[in-house]
Amino acid sequence: MLRLKLALLNVLRNGRRSFITLLAIQFGVISLILMGGFFASMYEGMREGVIRSQLGHIQIYQEGFNQFGSQQPEEYLMNAEVLQKITKLVEDLEQVELVTPRLNFTGLLTDGSKSLAVVVEGINPEKEALLSSAVKLTAGEDLFEEDTDGALIGDGLFKSLNLSVGASLTLMATTADGSFDARDVTVTGAISTGTREIDNRFLRMNLQHAQGLMYTEGVTRLVVLLKDTKHTDEVMALLSDAFKKQGLALELRSWSDLADYYHEVVNLFDGIFSIVQIIVLAIVLLGIVNTMVMAVMERTPEIGTIRAMGGTRSEVMALFISEAFILGLIGSVLGVIFAIFLAQGITAAEIMMPTPPGSSQTYPIRIFTEADLLWKNGLFGLLIAVISSIYPAVKASRMLITQALRFA
Amino acid sequence: MAVVKLQGVSRSFPLGNKQISALNKLDLTLEKGEFVVLRGASGSGKSTLLNLIGAIDDPSEGEVFIHGNPLSSLSDKQKSQLRSQYIGFIFQAFNLIPVLTALENVQYPLSLQKVANGEAKKRAAEALAQVGLADFIDRRPNQLSGGQMQRVAIARALVTKPEIILADEPTANLDSETSKQIMDLLGSLNRETGVTFLFATHHDFVLSRASRILELKDGHIVNDEQVKNLNLVDQIPPGEKVEY
Ligand SMILES: Nc1ncnc2c1ncn2[C@@H]1O[C@H](COP(=O)(O)OP(=O)(O)O)[C@@H](O)[C@H]1O
Ligand SMILES: [Mg+2]
Repeated sequence: MLRLKLALLNVLRNGRRSFITLLAIQFGVISLILMGGFFASMYEGMREGVIRSQLGHIQIYQEGFNQFGSQQPEEYLMNAEVLQKITKLVEDLEQVELVTPRLNFTGLLTDGSKSLAVVVEGINPEKEALLSSAVKLTAGEDLFEEDTDGALIGDGLFKSLNLSVGASLTLMATTADGSFDARDVTVTGAISTGTREIDNRFLRMNLQHAQGLMYTEGVTRLVVLLKDTKHTDEVMALLSDAFKKQGLALELRSWSDLADYYHEVVNLFDGIFSIVQIIVLAIVLLGIVNTMVMAVMERTPEIGTIRAMGGTRSEVMALFISEAFILGLIGSVLGVIFAIFLAQGITAAEIMMPTPPGSSQTYPIRIFTEADLLWKNGLFGLLIAVISSIYPAVKASRMLITQALRFA
Repeated sequence: MAVVKLQGVSRSFPLGNKQISALNKLDLTLEKGEFVVLRGASGSGKSTLLNLIGAIDDPSEGEVFIHGNPLSSLSDKQKSQLRSQYIGFIFQAFNLIPVLTALENVQYPLSLQKVANGEAKKRAAEALAQVGLADFIDRRPNQLSGGQMQRVAIARALVTKPEIILADEPTANLDSETSKQIMDLLGSLNRETGVTFLFATHHDFVLSRASRILELKDGHIVNDEQVKNLNLVDQIPPGEKVEY
């Protein structure tokens, strides 16, 4: 009781020094929370962007598609009957927002003078509009079911072919039975998925029109959009079970399985974050060690007196470590509070981020303040303070008593 | 049992590549209730002797026994416990903890002994009353005069009921009038409580309170004189603990 009070009084005794120590701890906690919160928002933006522009949360394919489908996509289509059955099954799950079919193939798009290879996606326009909310229309109008021969062209492709809305093009492709056919399409608009590489060779059209071109009633995949990304693993497990029970030979992939680029970026930025963490740790550590060593020097006679009165080495250590603990606690709590205000302020200011590499869209800076991030970095600040005090505390506890008393 | 016993104790310090001898083969026994004044010129080894008896320094040679315990056999922690239990210190510069009140300063050695807070407060207040500071318990050191600070320090040394109180020139920072008052206080505490005092000084007026006078010169005891004076403690049988 009295010893804790002594630690507290000593913290207050040298206000300026305690203030500097508090600043160092707060600096560490705030910078880590802001950076972590910024990265978290960036990860989320990327994740939701890729989910809502291309991948959905879960994709369902005919068994074998992922291994062999790239060579012979026509062999691994899901037929109309299976399609209906699964659609019903998936739609019945409460976590599911919607499920929509896609037919994918490569084709050759020509305007009469130039031909370009394109990645074609036959879609259900109404449902896809809901799923692909991150896909931005950059020219013309969205695709509707009534536009039987309508097509949305990737933004980059649209520009490189110098197209305009209403232009008529011919799309050629290898059909499901191996022959070669062509259909006319009319450009209704241009779209951006957020990924430049895709925007340079992407074409979306009505599923029926695509199926007509391919001589099939099947689709390549069913894309499932959930109400919340956090349900992904749970629904994956549910579906996998249900398919097994029904004897359906299907494969499942989650967005995470498919989002290689996302994982690469996350790994890179996590690495950067670790380095920053080490730098912040070093700065804060040095700052606190320095002020603690000064505190120990200044209180040398007090240390000698306590030891002479029968205080053990651990007693002296505990005295300085509890001071650091008090400072760490106050500094971390203040740091977390300031970080929350700063994060909200920066987010509210809607400062625009420079366009990220490989991306074709920009976002305002957002900084998340999830509870997890807050308490982890708060605890980190507290730990740094306590760890920093160990060396000075040991130094204090090892002083020769007679020497220490001589400074009185 | 003797409160303190020294057998062939030497203490030397390195100075450059030589050793200077501060104490040389000392034999000494201090009994319960003695009021021992340790005289000697500056540099004669008084502080060195007090530090050795106080278990805050180790002899280069020989053995120090406190309450029968040979110090050389004790760990740092055991020595700390022994100091806490048997020894009280009074310093020249008072050495109060500046952020604590008089009461808390006196309470502190009890909290080191893990005495419960309420009990410690009560005993600290009693000790402060004993040194005449009942009205000053909430003052901080910087709100007290030198003499009052030294009284707080005396209460702090007394509160754990040690067997011996070591005072290294406790009046050196005080004017002569205050010094006399402090001496009177220590003398009466010695009579009332039976605690042994070892008192290093070069003031002569102290001698009138002494029951024994030791004189150091160049690390040797050159005079050890029992003074048959008015001290009541002479009537207390050795080894009997007096309640106070
Ligand atoms: N820590 C030390 N290092 C070196 N020499 C010391 C140390 N402590 C005491 N001495 C020397 O030991 C001798 C006795 O000192 P001390 O016990 O302080 O004398 P006193 O207290 O009687 O003035 C002196 O010569 C002093 O210089
Ligand atoms: Mg001295």
